[in-house]
Amino acid sequence: MTRAGRDKFAQKSLGGLHRNIKQAKCLMVGAGGIGCELLKNLVLTGFGEIHIVDLDTIDLSNLNRQFLFGRQHIKKPKALVAKETASRFNPNTKLTAHHANIKDSNFNVAWFKSFTIVFNALDNLDARRHVNKMCLAADVPLIESGTTGFNGQVQVISKAVTECYDCTTKPIPKSFPVCTIRSTPSQPIHCIVWAKSYLFNELFGASEDEVPEFDHSEDTDNAQEIKNLRQEAQELKRIRETLGQPEFAQNVFEKVFNKDITRLLEMKDMWKNRKPPAPLSFTSLSRGSLSSCPSDQRIWTPEENLWVFCDSLDRLSLRILGLKSMGEDLLLSFDKDDEDKLDFVAASANLRSQVFDIGCQSKFNIKQMAGNIIPAIATTNAITAGICVMQAFKVLKQKIKDARMVFLSMSGDRGLITEPLRTPNPSCQICGVARLDFECDTSKIQLQEFIKVVLQDVFEYSPSISILHDKLIYDEEYDDNLDASFENLGITDGSFLTILDESDDDQPRRVNLIVQIKTRSPSEPEKSFVIPHRIDIPMKQAQPPSLDSLVLSGKDFGRNNSPHVSNEVEQSRKRKAEDTLDSNQEPSKKVKAEGEIIIIDDGYIEID
Amino acid sequence: MSATMEDVIENGSATVSQLQPNASDEISAEEVALYDRQIRLWGMDAQARMRNAHILLVTIKALGNEIAKNLVLAGIGAITVHDAETTTEEDLGAQFFVDDEMVGLNRAEAAAPALQKLNPRVKVSTDTTEGIESRGADYFKKFSVVIVTEADFSTLTSINNACREAEVAFYAGSSYGLYGFVFADLIKHQFVIERERSNVETKIGSETRTRSLVSATTRKEPGGKFTEFVTKEEVYCPLEQVVVSQIDKKWRPRKRKAVSSVLPAVFGLWKFQQTHGRLPDPDEHKEDTKLFMASMHDSRNSLGLPLDNVDPSFAISFLDSVGTELSPVAAILGGMLAQGVINFLGKREQPLQNILVFDGDVTSAPIYCLRPQGDEE
Ligand SMILES: [Zn+2]
Repeated sequence: MTRAGRDKFAQKSLGGLHRNIKQAKCLMVGAGGIGCELLKNLVLTGFGEIHIVDLDTIDLSNLNRQFLFGRQHIKKPKALVAKETASRFNPNTKLTAHHANIKDSNFNVAWFKSFTIVFNALDNLDARRHVNKMCLAADVPLIESGTTGFNGQVQVISKAVTECYDCTTKPIPKSFPVCTIRSTPSQPIHCIVWAKSYLFNELFGASEDEVPEFDHSEDTDNAQEIKNLRQEAQELKRIRETLGQPEFAQNVFEKVFNKDITRLLEMKDMWKNRKPPAPLSFTSLSRGSLSSCPSDQRIWTPEENLWVFCDSLDRLSLRILGLKSMGEDLLLSFDKDDEDKLDFVAASANLRSQVFDIGCQSKFNIKQMAGNIIPAIATTNAITAGICVMQAFKVLKQKIKDARMVFLSMSGDRGLITEPLRTPNPSCQICGVARLDFECDTSKIQLQEFIKVVLQDVFEYSPSISILHDKLIYDEEYDDNLDASFENLGITDGSFLTILDESDDDQPRRVNLIVQIKTRSPSEPEKSFVIPHRIDIPMKQAQPPSLDSLVLSGKDFGRNNSPHVSNEVEQSRKRKAEDTLDSNQEPSKKVKAEGEIIIIDDGYIEID
Repeated sequence: MSATMEDVIENGSATVSQLQPNASDEISAEEVALYDRQIRLWGMDAQARMRNAHILLVTIKALGNEIAKNLVLAGIGAITVHDAETTTEEDLGAQFFVDDEMVGLNRAEAAAPALQKLNPRVKVSTDTTEGIESRGADYFKKFSVVIVTEADFSTLTSINNACREAEVAFYAGSSYGLYGFVFADLIKHQFVIERERSNVETKIGSETRTRSLVSATTRKEPGGKFTEFVTKEEVYCPLEQVVVSQIDKKWRPRKRKAVSSVLPAVFGLWKFQQTHGRLPDPDEHKEDTKLFMASMHDSRNSLGLPLDNVDPSFAISFLDSVGTELSPVAAILGGMLAQGVINFLGKREQPLQNILVFDGDVTSAPIYCLRPQGDEE
């Protein structure tokens, strides 16, 4: 049964635009908080065809806002359930669900090109950047969105017309000096990072030597301290071997809350201007007898912390031994939704807080800090998804200049803040580029052939170039790969190579060239590639405009331009939006800043 | 002002829910797991207050769908959905609780099962009897908040006034195609802002025309910082006073000029309705465009807005939108209204004071505080 009245209101209030909507084929990446709301809006508004891509499965904590899912759907794929529920809202929309990673190679540029418009409804930076890159390569407009707590934002991205997702730098995750974590914590978060990233890994995970986030190069100003830290780690490794024995918990406790602390106290200089820590004694603390883990809402007593510490260690040890008996992988990694692991991290962090006389935290709060949980509510997602569609209307009307950057940020005098879309940042590494399609037989073409015949002969590049394929594969000093074929370098159909012009500083440099690889059917089998036509690669601007000047020129508050408003926008601009650096995809990094070693924790910690 | 669960059970209307909300005041571990991401935003006490709330939602069209969805997901205690009309084909265009098979059924009863499915902990009930606008204060007393959507002006004011008498918070909203509004009359509402204590001394007394700072307490945190808990109070006025009020007298001409045209359009629509007893419909009555523009002009005048440089194409576009609903606009307005209700119940955020208008042409949502002026300043 078709109901003609279904489209009546949309036709009346949208006029000619409604036809474009019915013909549009859209891609929605992410079927979580924003995605559920967005899909409902798109289906009801009558979009002709929608593809949904999501890798995730449904969790209980999604159900307070992801309204396409119910209790019966827990553990099922979001993309499939979202499609099933939303298909009832309008039988005229064609829905296709992909329970898959958007980075899979079958979602290539040609596939992206088949869409009229793409919507990002993602929760991590890595996937956002990927879709941004693909939409630029396919020249398909992208509506990017994000929310955190009460705030949301929507951005329209169109190649060469607006700035792209990567035109502005994104904030790096909160980081802590290694010495703060290991020797001189002063806040609860320091103890939580210690418990999660150091102690847990030393006992159950990849040991320190294999974890890249700890850099023990000797160039800090305190070689003695580094030596101590090393010794501590080695002692812990020996204790790890006693796992499963009755005194295991006591051994760990005595080691990290007594012996290590006593050794720290010997470094008198460290405590001249700080309150020195107080070692704990296992035997003098009473473990108490509880039947189960105390409430996660309140702060535990010292006895409760000790009980949970021992009990969670027992539980984790049993699991390790169980795995061992089945001959399986013995390494555990921290997971905020795993009660045993969270209990251990919560109790250890609080015991350390006791040692350093820092306020303890409830398990509920520790979960948020250790798991990088960002608050999320239905209303914010609903409003943000609604704004996405309003901006899509502008794109479909071919009036992208009327589209706006929109921030949801409720104040006394407005619910939304808008800014005009900014023009592309000419020095952007992602969109401020020239593009080339290159057809070749990847099993035959060698890197040096590509450099010589294509880059130097056709495009007249100087020898001062770098070539990147995710990582560096060639520069003037690094010529190891010259003889390798593209295939051997992992370059396949749909891969991107970035060519950087590394001419001297006083020379004009070209913008980056992005080469997209297309595998070629061998019509002339003797040739391994097609010589491309020369395209114009513009020079980089001598002085790229600074971010600040862009920010100032982008304001549209006119007469209401009070400092308060600007501040608010800049805050929103920081894009805290559900951006957790996905720990599975983004490897932990180490960064050196002014001689100080810094841990970048493997996620984004929100501490306002 | 808040209703208890006994009130909910006394209410004789049809009940869909099979589950009784947890009787004790303690939030269960399972509720904490379900509501985890929002408890982290507004805290356990606000969540507990929400669970004790009974909401009345009058008219469940596209905007009502969104409001009901958001409140039920958030975990209010109970919701009564009132609608005396039947589901039409047009309702399928922007409403997600109804489908093809439900055309012809009562709209509240058609929507209730899908609404209930969103959260079995919430008690969902329906009321399909006509004449809600003439029920007195005694009827509205049992609710924590009354929300009226898509109603005409006389329905809005009579329920608003009855709620005032019953001392019950009142929200109203409508969506007109690309446009819409949200209105709040919370009578007198206190809320507590939690903030880090600054060097500037917190002063008790008036902060704005409507808000005063009532009291402040301080708590020392383990890290040595101080958290301040500031109790503020907003004082409201009813809709019938709002529509005869002017924009803030202190506003300069440029700020007056920037006031969204949606505001006089909504007021003009109400004026038209009161005069002609129906909505303007230029397809049926050619003269309606002119008559509506005259009403809008009157509203600009009484609001104290400049009368020159008014774009007539806006009025035409607004008229095309009257009586229609669009899913994304309903989502934006419904999100803002529902969050307003949640903030009211949670008592932790600045509430809406007092009318927000939405313009989908430019994606703006300004808030205006309209109330009688003169005697105060
Ligand atoms: Zn860019």
